[in-house]
Amino acid sequence: METWAVEASGLHKRFRDVHAVRGLDLQVQRGEVFGLLGPNGAGKTTSMEMLEGLVPPDAGTIRILGLDWRSDGAAIRNRIGVQFQSTQLDDKVKVREALDLFGSYYPQPRNPDDLLRLLQLEDKADVYQSKLSGGQRQRLALGLALVNQPELVFLDEPTTGLDPQARQVLWALVRQLKSEGRTVLLTTHYMDEAQALCDRVGIMDQGQILQLGTPRELIASLNQASYAEIEFEGAAPDAAQFTQRLGIAVDVKPQHWAVPLVDPKSDLRKLLACVEELDLPMQQLHVRRASLEDVFLHRTGRSLRD
Amino acid sequence: MHARIFLKQFAMSLKVYLRLPAAIFWLIAFPIVMFAGLATVLSGKSDSGVKLVWARSAPALSAEDGALQKALAERGLDMQIMTPEEAEARWRGGKLAALLQGQGGHYTLRINSYLAAQGAQTDALVQQAYLVMQARAHGATDIASIPTERASVGGRGDAPYAAYLLPGLLGLNLLMMGLFSAGMVDVTLREKGGYKRLATTPLPRYIFLAAQVCVRLVVVTVSAALLMAVGAALFGVYNRGSYLSLFALIVLGTACFNSLGYVLASFARGVDAYGGLANLVFLPTMMLSGVYFSLDAAPEWLQRGADMLPLTPLLAALRAVFNDGASLASQGSALAIVGVWTVVLFAAATKRFKWV
Repeated sequence: METWAVEASGLHKRFRDVHAVRGLDLQVQRGEVFGLLGPNGAGKTTSMEMLEGLVPPDAGTIRILGLDWRSDGAAIRNRIGVQFQSTQLDDKVKVREALDLFGSYYPQPRNPDDLLRLLQLEDKADVYQSKLSGGQRQRLALGLALVNQPELVFLDEPTTGLDPQARQVLWALVRQLKSEGRTVLLTTHYMDEAQALCDRVGIMDQGQILQLGTPRELIASLNQASYAEIEFEGAAPDAAQFTQRLGIAVDVKPQHWAVPLVDPKSDLRKLLACVEELDLPMQQLHVRRASLEDVFLHRTGRSLRD
Repeated sequence: MHARIFLKQFAMSLKVYLRLPAAIFWLIAFPIVMFAGLATVLSGKSDSGVKLVWARSAPALSAEDGALQKALAERGLDMQIMTPEEAEARWRGGKLAALLQGQGGHYTLRINSYLAAQGAQTDALVQQAYLVMQARAHGATDIASIPTERASVGGRGDAPYAAYLLPGLLGLNLLMMGLFSAGMVDVTLREKGGYKRLATTPLPRYIFLAAQVCVRLVVVTVSAALLMAVGAALFGVYNRGSYLSLFALIVLGTACFNSLGYVLASFARGVDAYGGLANLVFLPTMMLSGVYFSLDAAPEWLQRGADMLPLTPLLAALRAVFNDGASLASQGSALAIVGVWTVVLFAAATKRFKWV
């Protein structure tokens, strides 16, 4: 069996005056959950559409499950499942009907009742899909991507716009896919989602993968295990004196300071001493672990949500 | 395998279609309402159906007025007499096609220039009545008319206007189905990502499209059957030809206008742009192809041009079959024109179609 579920190198895609993807290299192992993490407009969706065989790349090569889109399109389609950010179904299609219909496109479809149980949509089986909530509709879209028991599942922004509870349900489903041995390639602009779900993450910005690794590796590469966040009464004061005394560059936010800690024990002791000496009006002190958000900020100088 | 997928897709698409009240209304109820309404209004139960207002002052009638009034009534005019003030108010309202003024031998006839065709008809009848009146005044007693006979073009009895209208609406339905169902659904599926989702499955695109076209064929056929049932029940208009020939024409029209819809949709950048484009084709085609009226009064070049549109010859063939029991073989030249359109549009639709 081929080693890689997805193998892409040197992918480029240009739309008129937008160079959406600029030299994407990606290898996804079988059985792993891989996340492309990046802000809107980073080129995630275009990259996915090239890998899904919808958009031909201007340059580069793609192999999906060891096969080539140009010669083995039908074989690949039988073995992958795709969920888009939003899936347009007829309003007047019922949930079970949609699963049944999509199943008919494949030689060995999964039983709709099993899928309904998996998706926790049993009581919605005979409801028009247009009457579903956002989370239920995303679960149906995921179910449609699973009707053919795919080896590789593409999920484009699976939880965008969902409430926290609906996100948790979808996360559980993705974990189940992994436990069944399926490969999942997803995109997200939520760093907590990437951190919670993905075995490996590619941080993407402006059409390229900037850094790639397990969430732990990526965070460790920052060389800052955690951050101390100091909140003040009112606006955050000028940090020049504090920075000089502490010897660590402070990131000044409107309401607080963020102080990267390399060695939390000694750095915190020094930090508190400086606060004492300068008699700063500190109200609260939080220590939090570094996150993928910090990695992105560090690599691009911008926040994921910008 | 493919036959099974086709049947499933067809059944599902039909089911979904029948759940859309708006679609049912526009393709089934609307043509019937349109047909019943127009056929009732325009069939003209009275002798001529022509209305005339005669404006004259109150005093007693002169001999001439009496004679003219009698002659007008004999012409079958639906006449209303009112005072000049009342008549003037009605005239200003804009709905009068013709207004006869004066009395005692001094008459003028005002024709509404906006309603020239209706006015001309009234004018002719009033002039006839006036001639009759004069002839009588000169002593003529035995004024005769040429006997008239109402007959359909194919010579099978006197089919009323409803018989002209019904095949017209049937053809119009085919055009609407192509432009406003095939084309609109196509452009929507492309814009909203429906096709993109299907493109990631192994479903062959021709199966999906064939299923959709077959659903439209079923819907227009049912719509045609209901229209014919209403025609028979309310207006005594029924198919004198072969049902198989009618169905063959419906299939041909469906193929032609669905292709047209897909071709137009392939040029439109989204649903809004498509709406404009479809109407740009729909309205002139409807006006020029003789759905409601024959284009007899239009200039010769326009009539020849309209004959080359796909709907005109299709309607001619539908009318020939429906009203005169003609065979398809006798409609060769009409079918040839529709056939050429269908082949060209189908080829263009196939060439231009894109999933994504």
